[in-house]
Amino acid sequence: MLRDTSRRLSPAAKARLSAATYAGRAAALASRLTGRGSGASIRGRVMLTLDPRALDKLLAARRIAVVSGTNGKTTTTHFVAAAVREWLGDADRIVHNADGANLHHGIASALSEKPGADVAILETDERVVADMIRLGRPEVLVLLNFSRDQLDRHHEIKALGRSWRKALEAAGPDGPVVVANADEPLVVWAAEAARKVVWVNTATRWIQDATLCPNCGSTLVHAGEADVAAGAPEWRCSGCPLAQPTGDYRVTDGAIVDPAGQAWNPMLQVPGTFNISNAACALAAAVLLGVPAATALAGIRRVTSPAGRFATARFGDTTARLLLAKNPAGWAEALPLANTPTVVLAIDSAAADGRDVSWLWDVEYEQLAGRTVVATGPRAQDLAVRLAYAEVEYRCVPDLATALAGHPEPVDVIATYTPFQRLRKMGGV
Amino acid sequence: MPGEGRGERVEVVLIFQSLLGIYGDRGNATVLVKRLAWRGFDPVLTVVEPGDRVPDTGRVYLLGGGEDAAQVSAVRALRADGGLQRAVDRGAAVFAVCAGYQIVGKTFTVGERDEVIEGLGLLDVTTTRGPVRAVGELLSHWAGHDGDEQWITGFENHGGYTRLGPDAEPLATVEIGIGNCDDGTEGAVNGRVIGTYPHGPVLARNPALADHVLSLGLGRTLDPLPRSEVAELRRQRLAAVRKTSR
Repeated sequence: MLRDTSRRLSPAAKARLSAATYAGRAAALASRLTGRGSGASIRGRVMLTLDPRALDKLLAARRIAVVSGTNGKTTTTHFVAAAVREWLGDADRIVHNADGANLHHGIASALSEKPGADVAILETDERVVADMIRLGRPEVLVLLNFSRDQLDRHHEIKALGRSWRKALEAAGPDGPVVVANADEPLVVWAAEAARKVVWVNTATRWIQDATLCPNCGSTLVHAGEADVAAGAPEWRCSGCPLAQPTGDYRVTDGAIVDPAGQAWNPMLQVPGTFNISNAACALAAAVLLGVPAATALAGIRRVTSPAGRFATARFGDTTARLLLAKNPAGWAEALPLANTPTVVLAIDSAAADGRDVSWLWDVEYEQLAGRTVVATGPRAQDLAVRLAYAEVEYRCVPDLATALAGHPEPVDVIATYTPFQRLRKMGGV
Repeated sequence: MPGEGRGERVEVVLIFQSLLGIYGDRGNATVLVKRLAWRGFDPVLTVVEPGDRVPDTGRVYLLGGGEDAAQVSAVRALRADGGLQRAVDRGAAVFAVCAGYQIVGKTFTVGERDEVIEGLGLLDVTTTRGPVRAVGELLSHWAGHDGDEQWITGFENHGGYTRLGPDAEPLATVEIGIGNCDDGTEGAVNGRVIGTYPHGPVLARNPALADHVLSLGLGRTLDPLPRSEVAELRRQRLAAVRKTSR
């Protein structure tokens, strides 16, 4: 049953991968039966323990597109997968880690479940990008953005960018074509090392992590609106030639303009300008894989609530739309989307959220003044203090279920990762 | 203007938010400005960025955390400018956190090769790379204080270890966490200059320390300003750090 992807392997290598896959499947089943989770992560862990080369083998002989960045990975990966599915018309030919399990284990787990799929669209954690370039030899690599996130374990943002750049340099002419956000200096600096780059001007909002040049350490100069309108780059280094590249694709006035100059109305089912940027990157990636632009957009438009993001769920009598925001850049995009009179904000500091919640003070909660805010989650009190200093009125209700109960009108919920996953489970989305 | 501030104008200067603000450190400025406003002062927040002159008219100057390149860029700009030193000579208070704390010291090191960078010399401390990065909740005991306000709660995240010279007094003694260099001390004080590691941001979690910094800058003590949500947060954070030993 591993015929397709293991055809270049020796019989012994095939046998070992096969045994690891069955053991992983058994572990995943056990995990599901005992109610501990989907089993994706444990499946991958068991497989990689029994066959340390399982990931390399599973990646072999497939066409691969990898998507990474701090924010928007899951949605963009869903966009690319939907575009390719629209084109091939056969879901069985595509493997996609749709649930967002994006470390080595999660990727191996997803691949092992679809040995016959010849195209892999893989969301990849920032820390795993270099390994994926080396092991998977992807055709396309999408680099979305880079900002402060979980600093208790990613101590230096630049170190991740450096690892991407080194991996692209090492891959040389065998490396991927990179689809890169031209608005983000660290992404541009990393992507420059690729054999070929398709640049996307994404109209990025968050520039707090773009103060110094990643190449030489000098101050970056951000141009004024008038200069940008006159064609100047939005940013350039004051000490070296690094500057915003001209986009092959660009997002302007809510439209995606392709390299031929054709403007596409994205007509997405997911909200927010940042998702138009994500769709522009996904479109560029799909076109590189061979998908005609119109077909790609038809697929992208089918995406409604990737891994529960933007899903509407019922919690008793309450109707709630779920938004995920994991870091200041994500909150800067999500807060303007939350437009209900009552807004529920759920905060936690488990490992997956980042154990340090000081980022709450980088978010402009002041914009919620005049609304009814419910602070919830294990770190609701930290948010309460932040809201008090923002002079925003709030109720502090740490228990998620209680916080969501009894709202006569629909509410928008913005949650960090761990409460977001709990809410998905509670709401069945 | 009601309250003890009687409309007095007080300038708070946030230094290089874009370089030294990675751990939500602008929150310290938000907290000071609001605590002044709630007391009837007329606070003005000046955010200084690289390339701007640092005004010497402020009562309180704030510096926060940042990565190596940002830290080096910041210290060079501050040394060339001289405004912060003039403000200190005029009696302003300085509250410096994490990378900012290292910057106001004598020297610190950056990078894999431990390049030594000269600091501003406002505190008699030196910083070198430590054996393990200090990451986690930090609880310390504020020297000379008692009751609830003796506890300073925050989150530390630093690779540099700081040693105090004879002209610096520790701000606090460590209860849980690493602090300066795992020698039981946390932070440093010299006159109106305070350096410390925890963010959180630290002045949001520790209102008595916030008011102390304001008192140093104003040259007089302030009336208490009890806030129930901050008291509850302190209760929760103290319980959490004591329950989960690192």
